[in-house]
Amino acid sequence: MSVEEKVIESVKTRFPEDIIEAKVKRKNRVSISVRSNRIYDIGLFLRDELGFNHITSVSGVDYIDMNELEVIYTIWSIDKKILASLRTKIPRDNPTLKSLINVWEGVLYHERETWEMFGIKFEGHPDLSSLLLPEEWDGPPPLRKDFLLPETPQEKLEEKIKRAGGW
Amino acid sequence: MSVMKLSMGPQHPITGHFRFILDVDGDLVLKLEPDIGYTHRGIEKLAEKRTYLQNLPVIERVNSYCDSAGTMLGYLEAIEELMGLEVPERAKYLRVIAAELNRIASHLYAACLFSVATGLETMLMWPINDRELVLDLLEKLTGQRITYTYQTIGGVRFDMPEGFKEEALKRLDYLEKRTEDYYKMLLWNHTFHMRTKKVGILKPSDAIKLGVVGPNLRASGVKVDVRKDEPYEVYDKFDFSIPTGKNGDSYDRLEVRFKEVEQSINILRQALKDIPKGPIKKWAPPIVPKGEAYTRVEAARGEFGYYIVADGTMKPYRLKMSPPSFRNLIALPHLCKNVPLGDIPVIYISLDLIPMDVDR
Repeated sequence: MSVEEKVIESVKTRFPEDIIEAKVKRKNRVSISVRSNRIYDIGLFLRDELGFNHITSVSGVDYIDMNELEVIYTIWSIDKKILASLRTKIPRDNPTLKSLINVWEGVLYHERETWEMFGIKFEGHPDLSSLLLPEEWDGPPPLRKDFLLPETPQEKLEEKIKRAGGW
Repeated sequence: MSVMKLSMGPQHPITGHFRFILDVDGDLVLKLEPDIGYTHRGIEKLAEKRTYLQNLPVIERVNSYCDSAGTMLGYLEAIEELMGLEVPERAKYLRVIAAELNRIASHLYAACLFSVATGLETMLMWPINDRELVLDLLEKLTGQRITYTYQTIGGVRFDMPEGFKEEALKRLDYLEKRTEDYYKMLLWNHTFHMRTKKVGILKPSDAIKLGVVGPNLRASGVKVDVRKDEPYEVYDKFDFSIPTGKNGDSYDRLEVRFKEVEQSINILRQALKDIPKGPIKKWAPPIVPKGEAYTRVEAARGEFGYYIVADGTMKPYRLKMSPPSFRNLIALPHLCKNVPLGDIPVIYISLDLIPMDVDR
């Protein structure tokens, strides 16, 4: 059994109910999809028991068709040399998630950025204020899919071609 | 004395468009709060509007004047992983050559900024002059001094010009000799020791906890390098070591960078010697199949992560960038607690933060 499979196995045995899907994606990559209310405990387990100690990124993805937002924490284990992505889906209308700042201190700016760009409220985060956007910004979270940028000339052309019945 | 709020920046505190909000008590800085976003261009959102190929020059500008070749690699790696595309061997070597030359240029630039922060301004001229030699070399290879768009999906755009190899080896020899001068001029300089030793000590446990990456993490004594941990391109074929520091202070952070230049010269010599003949580009379809990939590369400032969600069209559904400077930023308020005001530039420069890289 490879190191990656062992990680999946131990997470599955410890949290049989809360893991939606856990799989090895390729060498050095595992993906663990969990229920949003247990992400804090699973994060603690990953840090303390499995040695995932080095936070790499926190990213959000807006799946507007399913009315869901996905939050992905990617954590590198320096000893095991595995990158785990701990992911959870939350409803788009009321996106709240417990902050993992007490698990990995390094998520401070990452979570703040995700809050700003996707409007996900991280409960327990010490400072959710404007980071990259201007202070006077009062539009919707810009990286959500319903925040539209002006049409580019290329898109106008594509639209025209589409209306004319394709190439 | 009472505590006063002081704003440092955003018009070039030392470099870049970046503001510190300081709580000062006399000369003592109690707290530093970085205020970023002055060069935010929304590249992640822009990328969703453009095709994968159109994104290349945009993404390069995340870290344009220092390390565009190293920055781009991760994006290409992610796309090629999704496509299952195998890049020709010669192209891989050429990519590595461009990235390593860029690493040297970036570290020399860091050294020159460092000397400005410590007031040793002869050392500003030397590395910036030598950096120009490297940029000339890159211009010969790619056609541009700073923003190359040299690497592309499936390979590289141009082959090595005639006489490049000899010219490169000659300049590498010169640079290696020149590094000794840097040691004499800067690193063994007593004034420099006084300004940088025991300033801004980052403990290894803190560095890992905060998620610091790259030379800053290695200066604290943690041996982490993506080129060794999960070799991409052809890095597994080269024989090189990962330099680490002992104390994790500002001095070590610069010393590690100089040692990395030596290692880059070492890698480049091997790459120029071993480079095989063959094609330099493989045709790649414009559509990337559905899926997601997270790739990491070791850019000059540290590990650069790319997360791409592809939905089976010509444009990415989501592109997340995790640049090294953004991740090193958290070390700045951590290190700038109860330090004299004069040490702030030294600590800031020693972390080698680039505002464009922080803001994207």
